[in-house]
Amino acid sequence: MQFIMSISYSDVGENLRRIVISGRLDIPGTDSVASKLGELVAAPKKGVVVDLSPVQFLASIGIRALISSAKTVQQRGGKMVLVVDGGSSVLMSLEATGVDQLIPIFRNTADAERAAVA
Amino acid sequence: MPNGRQSPERPAEVERSALSGLDELTISANGAEVRRASEWLDASCRRRNVPQASAERLALCLHEVLANIIAHGGGTALSAPVRLLLEVGFEPDTGKASVTVSDAGIAFNPLLVPKKVLPKTLAEASSGGLGMVLIRRCSDRLDYRREDGRNLLTFGVRWNAR
Repeated sequence: MQFIMSISYSDVGENLRRIVISGRLDIPGTDSVASKLGELVAAPKKGVVVDLSPVQFLASIGIRALISSAKTVQQRGGKMVLVVDGGSSVLMSLEATGVDQLIPIFRNTADAERAAVA
Repeated sequence: MPNGRQSPERPAEVERSALSGLDELTISANGAEVRRASEWLDASCRRRNVPQASAERLALCLHEVLANIIAHGGGTALSAPVRLLLEVGFEPDTGKASVTVSDAGIAFNPLLVPKKVLPKTLAEASSGGLGMVLIRRCSDRLDYRREDGRNLLTFGVRWNAR
């Protein structure tokens, strides 16, 4: 079984950055994308959407990277939100750790983008 | 490959007997091996018809237990093999699966770790302790014992097998 990690982004206007992560956010997967994620959320955008819908597995190391990123965005006055598939194991990880109460979660990108810049 | 479906030629009891059993794997304590362990668990659970949701809970627990061993087990944990044992069984109405992880690291009983109070705000959120939260929330059973200089931690899940 091959797991390929990727992280990409697109800027939507002046205020919004959309980041898409795919693969498994386990130890090796998170190690391979965490520093890039940190760079991408540091950009001076008001809103950041992190799309996790292509992520198949989210461990605590990945959750820590998401919390750190959300804090970075919040500390510069912005807002980070997540896109997660309903019923997925990724949602289970976020709910089990209470992170769904700390970082807003949406099922689709359009709602997430509206919330991130609201 | 067994598919767990009942048929006139192969009653459910016989099918369940075929799906019950043990699988073992020995790994080293490092990130690449954690992924190999995940693949082994996924394949074993599929072969034994463990429902996907239950297999995903086991996979999260396994990852977090191995991550703890790598981060906190000390030099012996990193140099000695880590042994994994998957056990799958069925009762009349219930299926159950458990994984026992055996490592030679520093004695550590996770059942004695105080439960983490989940933060109410992002500013309060700390990075520590999330692994134990996941293990506790994703398992229906958690046992620990120390034997022959090794930690043996077992986590298990149950599901309705009707």
